[in-house]
Amino acid sequence: MLLGEFEYLMLTAAARLGNEAYGAAIRQEIEDATGTACSIGALYTTLDRLEDKGLIKTWMGDPTPERGGRPKRMVRITPKGIDAATSFYNAVRRVSRGVAWAKS
Amino acid sequence: MGEVVTRIGCVLADLTAQLLESHEREAVRGDLAECGVGGWRAFREVLGLVLRRQAGLWTEWRPWLALVAVVLPLGILLSHASRSWADSSALDVSLYLRLWDWSYLEYPGWRRDLFRAVWSMGLSATALSVWSWTCGYMLASVSRRTVWVAVIAFALVVFLATLGSTTVARITHDKFAGHFYGVVLPRLFRTAFVMLPLLWGIHSRRKGVIRPTTLFLGAVVVITLTVLKSPGLENSLVWGRGLWGEAGPDRTFGTSDDPRPLWPVALVMLWPTAYILATALPTRPRRFDAA
Repeated sequence: MLLGEFEYLMLTAAARLGNEAYGAAIRQEIEDATGTACSIGALYTTLDRLEDKGLIKTWMGDPTPERGGRPKRMVRITPKGIDAATSFYNAVRRVSRGVAWAKS
Repeated sequence: MGEVVTRIGCVLADLTAQLLESHEREAVRGDLAECGVGGWRAFREVLGLVLRRQAGLWTEWRPWLALVAVVLPLGILLSHASRSWADSSALDVSLYLRLWDWSYLEYPGWRRDLFRAVWSMGLSATALSVWSWTCGYMLASVSRRTVWVAVIAFALVVFLATLGSTTVARITHDKFAGHFYGVVLPRLFRTAFVMLPLLWGIHSRRKGVIRPTTLFLGAVVVITLTVLKSPGLENSLVWGRGLWGEAGPDRTFGTSDDPRPLWPVALVMLWPTAYILATALPTRPRRFDAA
């Protein structure tokens, strides 16, 4: 299964965050990495798509005061998600061999 | 001023978020609060998600069923009926307001005419309201998550479907009265006796399923009203859209002996009632469902 680039970014952010992976944190990771804004719409619809594909699991976490007492949508990458992200990463490395921007 | 504008953006974001499922709404609002996103940016973000969600829902068949089976056909019929009955009510209202004298109540003929006028207007308003309520109930049953898009589409159909059509009952005695009875009154009719009952039907469905006894009695009322008002419903199309047919044995078109080729439109008005009854009937458990 070949991922889309935004799907890869989300899987990678979720894997890096581990137990602290949830909507706002993933959004911040992606914005820090890409330098561009990440919309809530793209984030949540992609979470649904990844969950439908079995690449992540999500559930509603506990509310916190800094969120105005509202719950978080927690995210955990599945083994199938790890495989998909690995395949994408390896494919990008293979296809980028020898190109100018990959040498730096 | 800037604070006011920001506050408006926040209010719009909260209102738009109501179109999301409750668990997602809370998570999204929490994420935006945690990221310090407010005002118009929050509104844009929430709106973007709502539009994506709605677009996804329309890839299923249910919203299209609601559109094709309820919004378009019943919206068009209710549009013509409400405009036609507003116009005919306008004649009675205008005459009584302009010519009213309390001494008229002493005369049996005037009292009969007043009763006729009130009865006719009341029946029209009740029929419109009941039909619209069943439409709202059915819309909320068939496609809960796209019901508000369906309501907007329904309103557009109801208020615009009579464009290019006409009616024979128009008050033209002076500018104000002509504008009020010809333009404002039909819109008031449509708002009060179509859109508000439609919203009430949606609200009723969301509160929970109505008991079968109540539904059955309601169905009797709807069928009775439809039988009583079906000639008027057909006439709103005939006179509004110029769908002239043949005259009856008296060779005069527009009298009660004319053939009624449009009689099936009454059945269209009963679709939502039939659907509501069918879905309310208890189903027997199937053998393989037995636990």
